[in-house]
Amino acid sequence: MAIWLEALIALLIVVSGVFILVGSLGLLKLPTLMMRLHAPTKATTLGVGGALLASMGFFWAVEGTISVHELLVTAFLFLTAPVTAHFIAKAHLHLERKRDGGERERLPQTGTGSGWSTYDPAPQTGGEEGDSAPGEG
Amino acid sequence: MSLALIVLLPFLGALLPGLLIRSGRNACATATASVTVLALALLLVHTPAVLRGEVVQAGWDWLPGLGLNANFFLDGLGLLFAGLILGIGLLIIIYARFYLSEKDPMGLFYTYLLLFQGAMVGVVLSDNILLLLVFWELTSLSSFLLIGYWRHLPAGRQGARMALVVTGGGGLAMIAGMLLLGQMAGSYDLSVILERGEQIQASPLYLPTLLLILVGCFTKSAQFPFHFWLPHAMAAPTPVSAYLHSATMVKAGIFLLARLWPVLAGTDVWFYLVATTGLFTMVLAAGIALFKDDLKGLLAYSTVSHLGLVTFLFGLGSPMAAAAGVFHIINHATFKAALFMSAGIVDHETGTRHIPRLGGLMHLMPVTATLAMVAAASMAGIPPFNGFISKEMMLEQAAHTPWAGLPWLVPAAATLGAVFSVAYALRYAVHVFWGPPRADYPRRPHDPAAGFWLPPAVLVALVVIIGLFPEQTAGPLVRAAADAVTGGALPDLHLYLWHGLTPALGMSVVALLGGAALLWRYGDAWARWRAGPHPEAKTMYDAAMARLVAASQYIIHTLHNGALQRYLAVMLASAVVLGYAAFSGAAHLPGTRETLEIFPVAGVLWLLMAGGCWLAVAHHRQRLLAVVAVSVVGLMVSIGFLYLSAPDLALTQISVEVVTTVLMLLALYFLPKRTPEESSGARRVRDGVLAVLAGVGVGGLCWAVLTRDFSTISGYYLDQAVPGGGGANVVNVILVDFRGFDTFGEIIVLGIAALAIYALLEGALRGPAAAHLAAWKGDMPRAADRHPIMMVVATRVMLPLALLVGVYILLRGHNMPGGGFIAGLVVSIALIMQYMASGFQWAARRMAVDYDALIGLGVLVAGATGVAAMVGGYPFLTSAHDYVHLPWVGEVELASAMVFDVGVFLTVVGAVMLALAQVSRLGLVASHEPANEGPMDFDPSTPARTARRDPS
Repeated sequence: MAIWLEALIALLIVVSGVFILVGSLGLLKLPTLMMRLHAPTKATTLGVGGALLASMGFFWAVEGTISVHELLVTAFLFLTAPVTAHFIAKAHLHLERKRDGGERERLPQTGTGSGWSTYDPAPQTGGEEGDSAPGEG
Repeated sequence: MSLALIVLLPFLGALLPGLLIRSGRNACATATASVTVLALALLLVHTPAVLRGEVVQAGWDWLPGLGLNANFFLDGLGLLFAGLILGIGLLIIIYARFYLSEKDPMGLFYTYLLLFQGAMVGVVLSDNILLLLVFWELTSLSSFLLIGYWRHLPAGRQGARMALVVTGGGGLAMIAGMLLLGQMAGSYDLSVILERGEQIQASPLYLPTLLLILVGCFTKSAQFPFHFWLPHAMAAPTPVSAYLHSATMVKAGIFLLARLWPVLAGTDVWFYLVATTGLFTMVLAAGIALFKDDLKGLLAYSTVSHLGLVTFLFGLGSPMAAAAGVFHIINHATFKAALFMSAGIVDHETGTRHIPRLGGLMHLMPVTATLAMVAAASMAGIPPFNGFISKEMMLEQAAHTPWAGLPWLVPAAATLGAVFSVAYALRYAVHVFWGPPRADYPRRPHDPAAGFWLPPAVLVALVVIIGLFPEQTAGPLVRAAADAVTGGALPDLHLYLWHGLTPALGMSVVALLGGAALLWRYGDAWARWRAGPHPEAKTMYDAAMARLVAASQYIIHTLHNGALQRYLAVMLASAVVLGYAAFSGAAHLPGTRETLEIFPVAGVLWLLMAGGCWLAVAHHRQRLLAVVAVSVVGLMVSIGFLYLSAPDLALTQISVEVVTTVLMLLALYFLPKRTPEESSGARRVRDGVLAVLAGVGVGGLCWAVLTRDFSTISGYYLDQAVPGGGGANVVNVILVDFRGFDTFGEIIVLGIAALAIYALLEGALRGPAAAHLAAWKGDMPRAADRHPIMMVVATRVMLPLALLVGVYILLRGHNMPGGGFIAGLVVSIALIMQYMASGFQWAARRMAVDYDALIGLGVLVAGATGVAAMVGGYPFLTSAHDYVHLPWVGEVELASAMVFDVGVFLTVVGAVMLALAQVSRLGLVASHEPANEGPMDFDPSTPARTARRDPS
């Protein structure tokens, strides 16, 4: 195996290790839930992605096979991590509403004319039925 | 074969009335009658042979291991009874057509009637006593339906229940007696049993057997002290009374006495039990009948009395008496059915059956009056009608019978019974039909349509003809039947109207004069009767039933009080006690197998699992947390399966976990989020001690098993999976092939469980529960976005992927980890995600699948795979597999087990989705919000109409 390839794989592993470590540290150290949420979803996901790339490179270069498992893992990871994070955040906002002076006051404006979806109803859209034409109401 | 057809025809025909009632009442009655005519014609085909003394047999082995064979045989006795059942049945069907009113559901009546007819014919033609018992119970059940036919009448319902309790209870005794009888004879076939009379009478089991069988016979034939149900059964429509309670069903007990006569009769015990009961019943019931004011009540007690007469004759144990009994069965059936029918006509035309309100009907309805009076004369034993001849034969037998050394007792009692019998028969004729017409009938009576009085007229014609020419008409049949009863021990028997100047004639004259005198002085007799004691059977019966119910309720409520903790504690405690008893009674050595070292992964798994368990126990009152903790444990178990190289189990476990957790969370939405504290401290200590003991016990058992070398059946499965089942995935081959029948049963259970969930929750959608649900306010605030865009998009992306995985797992299941069960769960999860993302209604509109039909389809597909093997001549669910070569694809294995797996798949999807759909319907009722139109709250691809702010 070429030395540069070996170096690249090693670099990927080390870098992704650092990202995963940072993500775990963040999960442990950051003060609020909203902040803590960033650590595993961003840093760790990136780290795992790097490790997967390293794994693919290793199998291609050393074993001579093309491994597609990693692609699947990536796909599931990219699908589940954002959704999970999104729902943890939503659940958090939802529970905060009950407390006095909770998150609601501290949330920034959405800048769209509508409020935050957990708290305020969605803007009316032209529905599937044609009876509610745009501009009506 | 045609014998079995005679029995089956009424059962098959019972389907017709319900269908044909839509074409009108005449079509319905005609169809019912034609079924009976057909069965009667089949019976007549065999008549010449049977009258020659032959025995016709037919049948096949049904459950030979139990000795239960569907064997039928027809001899003289069977012919007599089958002829009565079918012949009178035909008349009753015609009569009922005119009797039932427009409002009565006639199809139902005829269906019940044909069911009863089939059961009754089955009783008299069975050659196997176990088969006979089946039909015997069927007669009890179908008569219950018939007595309670007018279900809006409390008297009908109570009478039906009483008849069922008494005859059904007697049926239980009968079952025990018959089983003993079969044990003694070594066979359950009647034709064998009938030849082993001496062997049976010598057995020590003879007495208990006799007692049990007699209880069954006496309850069915309304003998004292079980006679009380028959008068109450008179709440039934009159055709039922005429058919069941005079001609057929109540004679089933007597039929059995006659059938088993060669085996059981002839001993002293038999004589004193049967003859005494019969004689006593005859006299007592005749006395009561005289003072009954209800027409049908009078006839009911007279029926009890005449049944007692026949029982008495069979109890005497002499062949001549048995022959007289057989003859009286015919005569009683003819005149009593005619009397019931004419009582029904009187009731129908005048609107009352109360004798003091009747009288003088002779002038208003001469046809009915003539028929009724001829039949009553026969019942009284007045020559030249048929009742006279058999009563004369009975008195003749009674005249020569000493009882416990007293020669006068039996003749005197028989004469007394005959006096009462003459008196009530004359009362029926005189008080109803004689005298001047009255002005105060509830309705203006007149003779009914010919179809109504023709059936009794046929019977009355028989009464007269048999009376005048007994030898020519009934002689051969009576001889054939009596031969069958006595086993051929019959002396020369001839029936004559004129017997000569015998003691019996003298007793008859005494009875006639005495009866006439009694009726002449009826007022005095009635006053004396009124002054005497009247034990009311119904009150005693009701009190006994109430005590029985109270006792069983006490037992149930003491042992079974509804506290699940208690049941669990009892079960665990008994398991611990039994385990300890077994453990302490044997020597034990520690296992010798080397233990493996703990790998870090396994250690972490174990810690997580223990932690999950601890979390669930410590916080079990916070239900949400408990569900999460339990799902953690489940997840660890699945990983454990994977770690121990059981990918099938891991896949199954993980998908089951997901589905269970989702359904539990959905259900939890409606429940309090905290469990209230219920257990006292002491009980918690008890539960804790029990849990620890049981847990340590199970752990110790596992340890003991795992530290020993042992061989299991798995080696066999591993060897046979490919050659025997055609699949490399042993787990799947076990499920769909080796133990396919188990799986078949399990998917049926799964389907039933889903339907039960549906039914239980359906109850919450109706009545007060629904009102409660509609007024329900959630205990948690609801988020403003019910269907977040993120969830909708993610699940929509996942859907094809998940479906593909499901199908892939289903197809590869036979050779690699997977299979129908896992595939069904995976597809269910994919669908549940859609429901969760876009709401139940939105998703349901796009899933036009009937989930309950899916369950049925799955079970049918799986069953059809099994049946297909039977068609090929193999046992049920035998699997076949082959390899075919397809272009492009290559070698493909086709196994019938895969089709079976598809059935499993369909059932699982149907069951899970049905449960989900029903829980979602609850949510819909409780949410008070309109269904969403679009798949998500806000769809950025469509332009915003307005940015409305939340008014709150």
